[in-house]
Amino acid sequence: MSLDRKVAIVDLTTGKIDIKAIPLAVRKQFLGGRGLAAYLLYNYSKPGCDPLGPDNAVIFSAGILGGMLASASARTDVMTKNPLTGLLGSGNFGGFFAPELRYAGFDHIVVIGKAAKPVYIFVHDGEVEIKDAKNLWGKTVTEAQWAVREELGDPDVKCAVCGPAAEKLVRYANVMTGIKNANGRGGGGCTMGSKNLKMVAARGTMDIKIAHPHEALEFDKRFIEQITSAKVNQTMGVLGTPFIWGATNSWGGIRTNNFQFNQLLNADPIEPEEIDEWSKESMGSEYNMSACFGCQVHCRAKYKIPDTPLARKYGLVGKYDEGPEYTSQGAFNGEPGCTGLDTLLMGNHLVDQYGVDNLEIGSTISWAMELYEKGILTTKETDGLDLRFGNDDAVIAMIHHICKRDTWLGDVLAEGGIRASEKIGKDSFKLLIHMKGMQNLHSDERATPALALNLALASRGSDHLRSRPAIDLYHLPVDVMRRIYSSPVAYDGPLSSDHTEYIGKPWQVAWHENCYMAVDCLGICKYHTTFLGATLPNFEDWAKVLYYNVGLEMTPKDIWDVAERSNMVERLFNIREGMKKDDPFKGEILAERYFTEPCKRGAPDVIGKKIDKPKFLEMRALFYKYKGLDENGVPTPESLKKYGLENLDKEPLRI
Amino acid sequence: MADDKLSTAESLRSTRSYGQVRCMNPSCAGRITPAPGQTQAKCPKCGSEWRIFWINAGLPRVKGPVWETSQRLANERLDQIAAEAGKNEELAKKEVK
Ligand code: SF4
Ligand SMILES: [Zn+2]
Repeated sequence: MSLDRKVAIVDLTTGKIDIKAIPLAVRKQFLGGRGLAAYLLYNYSKPGCDPLGPDNAVIFSAGILGGMLASASARTDVMTKNPLTGLLGSGNFGGFFAPELRYAGFDHIVVIGKAAKPVYIFVHDGEVEIKDAKNLWGKTVTEAQWAVREELGDPDVKCAVCGPAAEKLVRYANVMTGIKNANGRGGGGCTMGSKNLKMVAARGTMDIKIAHPHEALEFDKRFIEQITSAKVNQTMGVLGTPFIWGATNSWGGIRTNNFQFNQLLNADPIEPEEIDEWSKESMGSEYNMSACFGCQVHCRAKYKIPDTPLARKYGLVGKYDEGPEYTSQGAFNGEPGCTGLDTLLMGNHLVDQYGVDNLEIGSTISWAMELYEKGILTTKETDGLDLRFGNDDAVIAMIHHICKRDTWLGDVLAEGGIRASEKIGKDSFKLLIHMKGMQNLHSDERATPALALNLALASRGSDHLRSRPAIDLYHLPVDVMRRIYSSPVAYDGPLSSDHTEYIGKPWQVAWHENCYMAVDCLGICKYHTTFLGATLPNFEDWAKVLYYNVGLEMTPKDIWDVAERSNMVERLFNIREGMKKDDPFKGEILAERYFTEPCKRGAPDVIGKKIDKPKFLEMRALFYKYKGLDENGVPTPESLKKYGLENLDKEPLRI
Repeated sequence: MADDKLSTAESLRSTRSYGQVRCMNPSCAGRITPAPGQTQAKCPKCGSEWRIFWINAGLPRVKGPVWETSQRLANERLDQIAAEAGKNEELAKKEVK
């Protein structure tokens, strides 16, 4: 059965391991993946704990569909109290780890405490062991994975691993799996580093029984066809996620030079078609795309780093990697104003090997570049590095310095923007583009109020995968929007096809918040959902896939309620850890520059756009109302009761 | 549970438009139908020009702007905003090169 997977609670201080069943009642309330992870984090991390101390928990979670035939049921959520923000830290990667964890008999691994020396956790066919990681510590992301496979004598071991950046406690260090699957935006790698935990390695041969196998096969076929026939996924299968960057930069929705501009001009060398060409050439094959477990979209280009003077300087010529994603184009090209393809491919490779968040490191370097150009940082602080925009070499150098913490500036920037601004002083904080202490994705939301609202409200800080109604840019007819946004919960309020409008957007953001939470509980890929296209699956389709595969009979509205409840737990965690709606460090408010600096580049209609603050605050208030929150964004007693969360603090139902 | 009725997302599949791209000027978003293999296309509605890439024979996409046209249109818009706002407006600094 899919429902008989267990949770292991591993205390690294004492070495005690508890293996527990997941009660069906808890399953039905949270399903799995991110929803159940939020519940476990709330219960297993101590309120107000130091994120780098033993009282923080780090939780590895597979979705309830993990490892099954529904398309791309590959996703793993890693959740912790984020060392960067002090609020919720949660990331999600694809690859092959979650299926392997489930084949080993587990859905969740909760790690608390701190090991006295480096260790790793080995999960295999119903058993959990803590093992010595002396030989793994100090290794890069891939070196460590290949080494543990050799040590265990099994090439099919799958790992959730941290890299050298986590060992150095870079506050935005990732958990990684495979060559490049990154659990970014959550700081989970840093928490692992603080616990002396190098990896969770999984290997399983246990069956997962399908509840209704014949019907499941029929329905999964239809489900996969729905996903692969979408134009957007056919495009992804050829160009990968860089197609999103290509589209967005076309109209001027890319943040460049740390928010001073909103389009990378003449960016032809890093356009997705060029990456595709280079990928084919360097791999010597038309078949140059790879994929996660069970995915037919295969969005990830394989590549080798070209022979250029810059690649030679850093000894990276010919190094293999995968997927220079949309986010890497922004981090290493758009934000620092660099157009080198080698910079993109090298930057992507370095963050994969060090195991660090590409968005955060790229944004942080670009912020430092603006400080340098404005004279707030000088060559004294940069150790002689010429940190001006467009200096490709400086970007690559700073990635090394931050991940190794081997210069003053590298060490300071490894602490993240807010802590760094305290050290740097002057007006540096004003130039930081962050929400809840996390720097923004490289996209520019000044022309798209709905997307801007998502940034401020996202539970893990400035974010593009929490409640971003990306299809707002598709200009769908209102009657089509009405069909999407009135299901599974009736909505008869305003909707507008105009992405520059403020009206109707709070409901779209609220709807997408639940949509993406449901996806993360199921453990499937967001590219296979309404995230990128109106014809891709959502609640109605998931009720069926869940029933046929797992046997849980839930209506679309039941799944909606799971998502609503899970989002509420994430919000309660943030409130417990100090989130207040207007707080400039931990609040649900945009960086001031969104309201004061207009866009200067791009398509004619984008130029001059900025976010209207009073209208933004109205949108936020309406969002709170839709979500059953009071005017401060705190769940009302009625909402807590409705979702069975009124006793979360008093009587935590610990699994 | 054996409910074979099409979901909203599935039923919307019939609305997909093949062989066309949207103008990337967001408030325009007009449909452009490039001829098969055509690598550059102008929006009949707003005058923006786009470079076109073909994912497959029936699936074109906008690769990027024709930079010259894009910057000309951007500069015209900046001039217009500057004129409306007065010469001291920050945007009048002609940030688009
Ligand atoms: S679309 Fe890409 S990220 Fe999603 S499952 Fe497929 S290969 Fe992985
Ligand atoms: Zn147009």
